[in-house]
Amino acid sequence: MASLGANTVAILIALGSFPVSLALTRFFMYWNAKRGIIGIDVHKLNRPKIPEMVGVAVPITLVLFAAIYAMVGGSSSIPLLAYSLVVGLAALVGAVDDRLKMRGIFKPLLTLLCGLPFLVLGLTFPGQVYTSTLHVPLFGGYHLPVIYPLTILVAVSVTSNTVNMLDPLNGSMAGGISIVAGGLLIGSLLVGAGSTPVFLYASLMFSLLGFLYYNRFPARAFAGNVGQLSIGASIGALAILGKTEIASIVAIFPNIQNSFFFLSRIRRFTEHRELTSKPTKLQPDGTLADSEDPRAPLTLVRTLLIGRPAPENEIVSTIWMLFLTSTSLAVITLLLTGVPR
Amino acid sequence: MNIRAVGYELVVFVTQWGLMLFGFGVLTKFIAPVNLVSPSISLGLYFDAAVKGLIALVLSVSWLFIWDRQVRLYFHRRGK
Repeated sequence: MASLGANTVAILIALGSFPVSLALTRFFMYWNAKRGIIGIDVHKLNRPKIPEMVGVAVPITLVLFAAIYAMVGGSSSIPLLAYSLVVGLAALVGAVDDRLKMRGIFKPLLTLLCGLPFLVLGLTFPGQVYTSTLHVPLFGGYHLPVIYPLTILVAVSVTSNTVNMLDPLNGSMAGGISIVAGGLLIGSLLVGAGSTPVFLYASLMFSLLGFLYYNRFPARAFAGNVGQLSIGASIGALAILGKTEIASIVAIFPNIQNSFFFLSRIRRFTEHRELTSKPTKLQPDGTLADSEDPRAPLTLVRTLLIGRPAPENEIVSTIWMLFLTSTSLAVITLLLTGVPR
Repeated sequence: MNIRAVGYELVVFVTQWGLMLFGFGVLTKFIAPVNLVSPSISLGLYFDAAVKGLIALVLSVSWLFIWDRQVRLYFHRRGK
């Protein structure tokens, strides 16, 4: 019951991130538009100009609420500090990329460094940030004293970049990852996880919902790399902090498929804007269709359009349905894994 | 909503999920408990971790290969 009480307090505090994220998103929409930080929505016939980098509202909300929870939630501040540093660093990398348009290879390399606070604080305060035991569904677990700390860096880089790669349509990333965060929140509650991961999953979900209000079809705000990378890093950091490593991989199956097929076709880290062969094309009636270009990558959106053009909002709904499917499998995975220690 | 595409993806996801659990089971039950490199030799612990990491890597690549074949089977064939 004590755990239930702590989790209830955690969720109630996290609930505050919804209006804060909503207000910050609104603020950055005007702020960024005024300073000419805008992108073009290429999947609309009238190609509207939309404020870019508005996703910065999400990492600011996440860090702000982690600080609030550290002060009033009675939880250890070390994991919250590690989480905030990872999210903040990923946001910084994203912001630099948004402004300077770095080459594709730099993002995975720089996001490798974003996991460093987890590693350093984890080694300085053993057992507070991560434990080197991987819990495996049905089969128990095993201790990985050498490999586990090293995979932290890779995990944060992979999750941040894979989330970054699946945001081609209005609301696809924000909606998809809020489903993932919501599902892993439910799973964590069901297996009796500690209040810190419960709080952070709830905070991530509510922050994303606040941003999604303006990012949903037809979008009035774009996340930018600053939002996408920090949200992805947040998923990676939470997988380690909440001991939901395998369940998190399952939950982001749609992202993994998208990234894997993009990389397997292009065979290098590159930006979407640098692609000469586009996977989809906008039709005169406003629907999206498979470009039928054999050199273009087989992205997730393209697989959904093969032989059947569809309007953007319908494709986004389908992507959300895929996230709902993968997240359901992730919750089952968590239940099969049992109580994280 | 493209129900057929969701159905195909569902098959891919469930198959990959099952294979993933199986792979982690193999690692937990058969690979992790065994000392593949004697820990008594110099840096034995690190070599042992490296060999086990390599086995995990091979399993991961096989897992991605099966994913690749499935998506090509379901989606590329329809596109042709």
